[in-house]
Amino acid sequence: MSTSALSRPGERDRPLIKFIEIDWVFCLLLCLIAGAGGMIMFSVAGGSWTPWAAAHLVRFGLFFLLMIALAMVDLRVWFLAAYPVYIVSLVLLVGVEVAGDVSKGAQRWLSIGPLRFQPSEVMKIGIVLALARFYHSMSAESAHMSWWLLVPVAMIGLPVVLVAHQPDLGTAILIGATGLAIMILAGLSWRLILAGVLAVLVALPPFIMFVIHEYQRKRILTFLNPENDPSGDGYHILQSKIALGAGGFLGKGLGLGTQSQLNYLPEKHTDFIFAALAEELGFVGSVTVLLLYAAVIFMALRTASMSHSHFGRLGAAGVTATFALYVLINGAMVMGMAPVVGVPMPLLSYGGTVMLTVMIGFGLVQSSRVHRYSEVTSGRGSLL
Amino acid sequence: MSEPSIFFSEVNRRQGDFNRRAFLLGGITGLGMAALGGRLMLLQVLEAQRYEKLAASNQFNFRLIPPPRGLILDRNGVVLASNRPNFRLMVAREEDTDVEATVANLQRLVALPTDRVPRLVRDIKRAPKKSPVSVMEDLSWEEFSRINVRAPELPGVTADMGEVRVYPFGGAFAHVIGYVAKVNDKDVATVKARGETPDPLLYNPGFRIGRQGVERAFDLDLRGKPGGKKVEVDARGRVVAEDTGGDIPPIPGKEIRLTLDADVQQRALEVFGEDSGAAVVMDCRTGDILCMASAPAFDANRFVRGLTGPEYRALADYERRPLLDKALSGTYPPGSTFKPTTALALLAAGVDPKDRVVCTGGYRYGNRTFRCWKHDGHGPQDMHDAIKNSCDVYFYHMCNRAGIDRIHDTAVKLGFEQTYDLGIQGQSKGLIPSSAWKRATYRKDPTWHLGETLSAAIGQGAVSVNALQLCVSAARIANGRKALMPRLIKSVGGVERPSGAAVPDLPFLPEHLDTVRAGMAAVANDVSGSAYRQSQLGLGDVLMAGKTGSAQVRSFDKAKSRKNVGLPWKLKDHNLFIAFAPFDAPRYALAVIVQHGGLSGALSAAPKAREIMRTVLLKDPEIRARIQTPLPMPEMEPQEVVEGAAPEDPETIAPAAVNRPGTPL
Repeated sequence: MSTSALSRPGERDRPLIKFIEIDWVFCLLLCLIAGAGGMIMFSVAGGSWTPWAAAHLVRFGLFFLLMIALAMVDLRVWFLAAYPVYIVSLVLLVGVEVAGDVSKGAQRWLSIGPLRFQPSEVMKIGIVLALARFYHSMSAESAHMSWWLLVPVAMIGLPVVLVAHQPDLGTAILIGATGLAIMILAGLSWRLILAGVLAVLVALPPFIMFVIHEYQRKRILTFLNPENDPSGDGYHILQSKIALGAGGFLGKGLGLGTQSQLNYLPEKHTDFIFAALAEELGFVGSVTVLLLYAAVIFMALRTASMSHSHFGRLGAAGVTATFALYVLINGAMVMGMAPVVGVPMPLLSYGGTVMLTVMIGFGLVQSSRVHRYSEVTSGRGSLL
Repeated sequence: MSEPSIFFSEVNRRQGDFNRRAFLLGGITGLGMAALGGRLMLLQVLEAQRYEKLAASNQFNFRLIPPPRGLILDRNGVVLASNRPNFRLMVAREEDTDVEATVANLQRLVALPTDRVPRLVRDIKRAPKKSPVSVMEDLSWEEFSRINVRAPELPGVTADMGEVRVYPFGGAFAHVIGYVAKVNDKDVATVKARGETPDPLLYNPGFRIGRQGVERAFDLDLRGKPGGKKVEVDARGRVVAEDTGGDIPPIPGKEIRLTLDADVQQRALEVFGEDSGAAVVMDCRTGDILCMASAPAFDANRFVRGLTGPEYRALADYERRPLLDKALSGTYPPGSTFKPTTALALLAAGVDPKDRVVCTGGYRYGNRTFRCWKHDGHGPQDMHDAIKNSCDVYFYHMCNRAGIDRIHDTAVKLGFEQTYDLGIQGQSKGLIPSSAWKRATYRKDPTWHLGETLSAAIGQGAVSVNALQLCVSAARIANGRKALMPRLIKSVGGVERPSGAAVPDLPFLPEHLDTVRAGMAAVANDVSGSAYRQSQLGLGDVLMAGKTGSAQVRSFDKAKSRKNVGLPWKLKDHNLFIAFAPFDAPRYALAVIVQHGGLSGALSAAPKAREIMRTVLLKDPEIRARIQTPLPMPEMEPQEVVEGAAPEDPETIAPAAVNRPGTPL
């Protein structure tokens, strides 16, 4: 029924139809993940709503409403907003470079009046929108292999260099990898992909040796050999692995995880919350959460493939790629399979900025679903 | 139904490419998720037990319960070293501790001297993470409770109650017992060099290791075995809960009983006052050392707390050298106290004690005149007179009849030039010259010249001895039968150490010893004896026998006076005295060395010896009984005497009472 309603041009603009068309199973999964995060925060705070659990859940509630509202926003509005958002993000990133606040040795935050935020987070949305729009008006042949591809490369490269310079290697990798994923999805030649991979492999060792910061290099070396310095830099990885392993099959029970309760686990409510969850809920709990994430990723990807517009497709897929990268990088880090980079587990970890980015992104995903039959032309006529 | 799917829609090339590639990237993501799942499987299911153990070792901590250090007692059970409770303050560094701020906070709560702050901050920063560093000891109760109330705001700070070593007599036993001090890296390195794992106690912040004397030599016995307490700790090292069921009680250190007598030792230091020197008293029947004092002493309690630089420098730079153990480590020329030894050597060489030498105040040997201490001479002297008057010329004249090697041999038999198994370190061997020694030491002039015997015979020249050896020689002469060995450690942990009397006999003829003893008795009791006035004990018929000595520490130019008046302290003569009492039935032997006393053995050393000997004798119940008992009337039967005096031990009184009249002087 809804399909037919959506396919009728007059019918599909009605708010109620749009509302019904939102993927509510997907929304439920998001609520489950955020709820699990709130539960673990309650537990690691020693059975207290403060300081994290209540704030986390309230924030999720607000952002959830924002996502629903964004889902109803016409895809053509997203389309129009794409370049402005990207350009504003880029300007803000330059602004950070010039007038950003320094915190913990990195220049990531920008204050405008009472607002204090990380432009690199806005860029995560901006890059997806801008690339989706660019490819929307590009032929398959050009997207496959042409000089035009230098444009998206520049669009990705600029923010990556700016963010990496802050320095925020985790976010830079995330933006770069998301951009690359969109280029691949848009039909980039496999030969170019292969060449790119080779180029990266060649460039990586000198990059690690000479360009990145000392603390970043140390983290990578520590990751390669964490037992070298168990109370220093290897501490995070080691304690996280201990938490996971000590959880065992069924877990120690909520509020009973010694690693997190006694503070051996660092960042137990943010970057390492997955380890805290795995300790208290065991293999069963951690695999369940992992499956929830997998379901979210595949449902979002399926939503992307359903869109009739290339913009909707690439936009939704780009957001999904960012989300999946978050999950994979954080998961690998927590399990001792990747160096410690400041990438949280989306929706599970405490922290408003990442949650806002992710929920705005899912607003785009849902909008592409709700408006999957809409015509998104490169012109402006139909909307204004 | 009509919805496009990942698998089948090929609306146009862009969508087709997208769908195929979305399928591919989705597949890669799926593989990534599967890898995470596999990793979880490995960590949480397959290796769970290993990580469970690691988590438990994080969570639970065995806190060491230090054992109380063993007591050190004197022969009568008086405590010489014990432990007292001590509130102490410790700081353990965390990953993110601001050490300066923590110490600044502590300064507001306790009286932490400002000049110690920089060193403390450095110590805390250098210590490994989470291992507590002692910041302050002996907090007052107010300070202790203030810290504990504020503990939640002071990460890494703990205040607890430990024990600290205390020496109730301060310095009186400092050289014998030594002291304990903080463990340093060298101590740990020494243990590791032996290939052993260091006792975890060594890393305990309040632990003190024995540094000198008995504390050092018996450190392992005194130390005990630590116990353990199982506690649950958080990542900051704070104790969350204690598991009292898992406690292992510590095993206290062993108690060590010395042969020393606290009263005698204290009296010895008292009589020394500001003078520098040593006094050793031995029981000449058993070899037990009753007193082994070195003056001036130092307060061992200060070393436990840790000396400041200026304190240490003051002790080390003082010319009377309080840190040196003058009873064992310091060696001195014995001077005339060596004459009984020479006399025994002469007798052994067949010299008739009745042979006389006329002392004219000097003795010409070769192109040099050896002077007697009495410039106008003693006149004719036999051996008895020579010992009584300490006549140098007699010994100059006679000594080469025995020869240096016989003198050396006799001296070694009397206990010189050797160290004893006291249980503690730091004895100097001293030196008694001999022709073999000369050959081995002086390559350019390896032959012993007879003229050198003259100096050695009166305890000068190369002869050097320590106070213990001097006392052993006196004890052996007094005992007359046994080659007594000194004993310092009476028992360790209740196990008695072998007595010094279980030794072979002395290889001297009794009549030779009688001659020497008679000479020594005359020194103290003949009105013309060299120390008559200074040697009267005032204990009735309990009399002392002795021998004075005065040893030069500078060579005399002809023009210069031999008087000590006005000389700097370091150039004054050493004054010595050896004695035993009661001389008719010897019980105690003694040696006193007054370093740079500057007077004579009689004036400087003998009065000290007398006071110490009086204290020893008055503590002996048998001697007291003898003094307090009126002389037995001829018609009285011995058992009445026994009843009145020492009812607990009649056997030992009787021989003394019977022996008394017949003993030769």
